[in-house]
Parts: sequence; C-alpha cells; structure tokens
Amino acid sequence: MIYVIDHKDSFTHNVVHQLSLFDKVKCTNYDEIDSKYLNSASTIVLSPGPGSPKDYPKTSSIYKNYKGKKKIVGICLGFQQILFCEGAKIVQQKQIYHGFQSEIKVVSQKSIFKNNNTYKVGRYHSLKLKEPFYSKNFDITMRCAISGSAMAIENNTDKIYGFQFHPESFLTINGNLLIKKILSA
Amino acid sequence: MSKFKILDRINSSGKSYIIYKKTKGFDLYTNFSEKIILSNNNINKFLKSISSNKKNIKKTDLYIGFFGYELLNNLIGIKFPKQKSNNFPKGIFYKPETVINLNENLYFKTSLKEKKNNKFKININKKNYTKIFNMFKRKIKQGETYQIKICTKYKNKSKIDPLDFFCKLSKSNLAPEAFLIKDKNYSVISCSPETLINKKGRSIITKPIAGTLKKYKNLNKKKALQYFKKNIKETKEHNMIVDMERSDLSRVCIPGSVKIEKQKSIEEYKDLFHYVSLIKGKLHKKIKNIDIIKAMMPGGSVIGCPKISTLNLLNNQENENRNIYTGSFGYIKFNGDMRFNIIIRSIINFKNTSEISVASGVVIDSNSNHEFNENYIKAKALIDLFK
Repeated sequence: MIYVIDHKDSFTHNVVHQLSLFDKVKCTNYDEIDSKYLNSASTIVLSPGPGSPKDYPKTSSIYKNYKGKKKIVGICLGFQQILFCEGAKIVQQKQIYHGFQSEIKVVSQKSIFKNNNTYKVGRYHSLKLKEPFYSKNFDITMRCAISGSAMAIENNTDKIYGFQFHPESFLTINGNLLIKKILSA
Repeated sequence: MSKFKILDRINSSGKSYIIYKKTKGFDLYTNFSEKIILSNNNINKFLKSISSNKKNIKKTDLYIGFFGYELLNNLIGIKFPKQKSNNFPKGIFYKPETVINLNENLYFKTSLKEKKNNKFKININKKNYTKIFNMFKRKIKQGETYQIKICTKYKNKSKIDPLDFFCKLSKSNLAPEAFLIKDKNYSVISCSPETLINKKGRSIITKPIAGTLKKYKNLNKKKALQYFKKNIKETKEHNMIVDMERSDLSRVCIPGSVKIEKQKSIEEYKDLFHYVSLIKGKLHKKIKNIDIIKAMMPGGSVIGCPKISTLNLLNNQENENRNIYTGSFGYIKFNGDMRFNIIIRSIINFKNTSEISVASGVVIDSNSNHEFNENYIKAKALIDLFK
C-alpha cells in the first residue's frame, strides 16, 4: 500500500490516481495524518503543496522516522521537503515556473533512468534547491535542460526519490513510466 | 397563448420564478411549493433529503437554486474573518411545480418605472488594488499560491426590472449557463459561461474557462486559438486550471477514468472568445452528491490555485462578503443528476442595491494596471444595462 500525505494541494489527487495504476493507495491531508496507514504502507509519498518545507514540521519528522525503513517519494514540495530534511537550503528562484512545460535531462550514471534521456514535464514551483548540495547517498539525477536547476534526486541505498516537477500533470509526457520505474526500484 | 405572453403573464402575476438556459432555449421554473434557506446547519440534511432512488422522474422533480460563496467555503472547513455583510441568505433552493419551455428569443417590454442609475461605486480603488496585487505577487514568489483572483465589487442604489435586464443580456450575450432568479425580495441576473458540474448517472464533466479575449475586427476562432497558444501567460494559467480540475474530479472518480476530453479549445460568444477545456470522469459507486459538491466547489477557475491556501489568502484580504459571487447556481434532480455553474458575470439586486462583482487573475507575470482594467471590462457589459 502507498500512503500519500496531502499538503492540501490542488494536484494531489492526480498523484493518487497515477499511483493507483500500480498499487493500493491511501491519502489523508496533513491535518489528519494516520499512524496506522504510516505503519502499514510500503511507500510513503509526500505530496506537492503551497508554501515551503519549514511550514510542515510533521512531514519532516515522518521523513526522519521512516528514512531507510520504507520507500519515500517526494513530489514538488515533497521533493523540497526531503532535501530540507537532508540539510539543504530551499530558496526563491528568479524565474518562476507555474503551469510550464519544460525539458529536463538525466544527468547521472547512478540514476535508475538512462543517462542523457530527456523528458517533457510539467512544473509548478516558486522555490528551488540551493546548490551546491551534498548529502550521503543522494544524487541529483535530473536537471532542467535550460536553467540546470535540480529536477530529481535519488538515494538508491535508502530508496528515497524526489521529483521537482509533476509526473502526474497532463503536461508531463510519459509520467506514468517515470512513476512506475520509481515504484519498482 | 404564445410563449411571449406566458412570460408577460408570469412576470406580472408577482410569482417568483427562475429561468435557466439549456442547450436550446430556456426552462422557466415557477409555482414553487418549497423554498429552503440554506445555512451551515441544514445543508447536509437538505442534500441527504433529495431522494436518489427514483428512476423515472418528472421534469419538476428537482430542487433549483444556489449555494453562496461563504457556504461553500464553510462546507470544506474554511472559516471567515469578520466581513461586512448585507445579510443576504447563504443559499436558497426552490421546488418548482411548473416548468415551461421558452425558446431562444426572449422578448419582454417592461411596464415598470425603473429607477436606473448608472453611477457605480467601486469597493477597491486602483491604488488599493495595486497594493493587494503586489502583496499577492509576493505570496506567489513564496510559493503560497500559484494563481489568485482579486475580486472587485461595483454597487449602486437602483430599482430595476430583472426580466427586462435578463432579456437584454440574452440578446447581447447568450451564455450557456445564463440564469435569472426573480423572488419577492431579491433578484439575480447572470450570463455565466461556465459549467462547473454536469452529472448524469455516474458520468460527470466540468468545463473550466481560463482565458478571455475581447473580439475585434477580423478576429476569428482560428486566430483566437493562435493568440492563446502563443501567449505563454494565458497558456500557463490555463494549464494550472486543467490540472486542478483533474485533481478535483479525481477526488470522486474512479482511478484512470478522469480524461481531458477537449483540450484548450475556443468558444465564441458575441463579444468575446473563451479558452476552454472539457474534463470528464466516472464517479465512484459510493460517492454522494455532497462529496461531489465538496470536491468541486467553489469552482477553482475563479479562485486560483491551490484552492485551500488561495481561499484563505483571499478571505483574509476581502472585507466584504461575496454573497453569490463565485458560488454556484443549478439544480439537483430527484434521481441524483445535477447541473451547476459558477456564478460570475452577475447582478444581484437586494434591498434596492445592485451589486456586480468581477475578478481577474494574478499570476507571476501579470500586470496590475492590465488586470484592474480587465476587471472593469468584465463589469462594463453589465453596467451598460443600467443606461
């Protein structure tokens, strides 16, 4: 079972439907986090949402509790949440992407995705990862083809994955394949 | 008796009635046997009480009316700070006993001595608008909202004949979700173009509009589409609304059933073009109408995105109740089918005061002057009726 923590976003249920193609999914919002679901889930998904990671302390402690014990996947805000918990700074970007389709590229040999592959993806984010960023076992595996901003992280030791873009958006081509690969990793 | 005379007769009888646009022509509902004033306390009970067991139903087996904006917010757990209010009901539904089919060409000549007044007072001047605009833009940069619609309200004292207004409006701007409510102590005239919910059996569609282009000479449908496709700001705004509406539908639909049926098409009206998408889904078996209402309302395209944080930003900013504006009007049939619009492009007349509310969106690359004027353009078509 996959448990999605909804940070009260207006895209979360697209994520839920996409995940439902591959497994049973439970979803509750941030104010109603369910410890039974947390314990029985094989994967925990941190949803997109407004604001920045520091606004969601409960999600941070869930991440710290379950890191290495369960697969954790973060999307948009969820991606930033993982990075934030790993000590990264999340900052405002000069150019803001909301409802924007852009091209991203796999930039790492260590990625479960083929190096140099490109994808067209939908983006909705005001904030981004401040680099340089280093944390043990984490790799930045995808970047924006134009600006170079970090678009995906992978930690294949602890099974932690994050996308800055939205694989569930209708703007993302082959989003289902991206999610499938991560769920089966 | 001709259809025109029927309209005359009903109007002069003093009975309350509702006119609602359908695919061809209009339906007029009257002889109301029940009038239910909705509040936070009775809305659940009201929705539950509408039986959904009957298969064969009469044309009058329905409740028709509206949910106001505040009621819809409260329904999804959003509370309001204290606001100025004229104590207009939060929602009203009627049970009609008569329905009359009217054709497209409504004709009516008022005999009422209307006290029209085309001087309107705006509740936010340009200076204050710019202030709010800049504050919201900061919120976008911080990621608290991605798109937010600032509402401005035009008000005046006037005594109007709502049927006269509605007929004129239908001539100049025949909108697919147009409606008129004429009750004893208030009236609503609207040329809403936007269908929020159309539910038949377990099929449901929503048809968000994001993007409006005023017509000018030589502009046709094809060129309008080109304009929207090339305009990155309009495209991004529209994309956001499509993903949001997909997600709202996904709350109540079977996984895999939510599909974009028509992506970014153009609808043509007398004075403008709209950029429209159509999204459909198949409802879960256990879903009740109240679940659908909570998932879909208030309609996202007139609020912004993401819905909850954007509603909170808006409500903390606005010091005056929106009443019906960005609420929903429509009907619920006894077999569970529903049709609801988003209440925009509307005039509400209550206690001899007319109110016109309009809104336009702030995204990261909006310009405050442009949006302020855009609000005025949207209101103007309605203000012109007061001449």
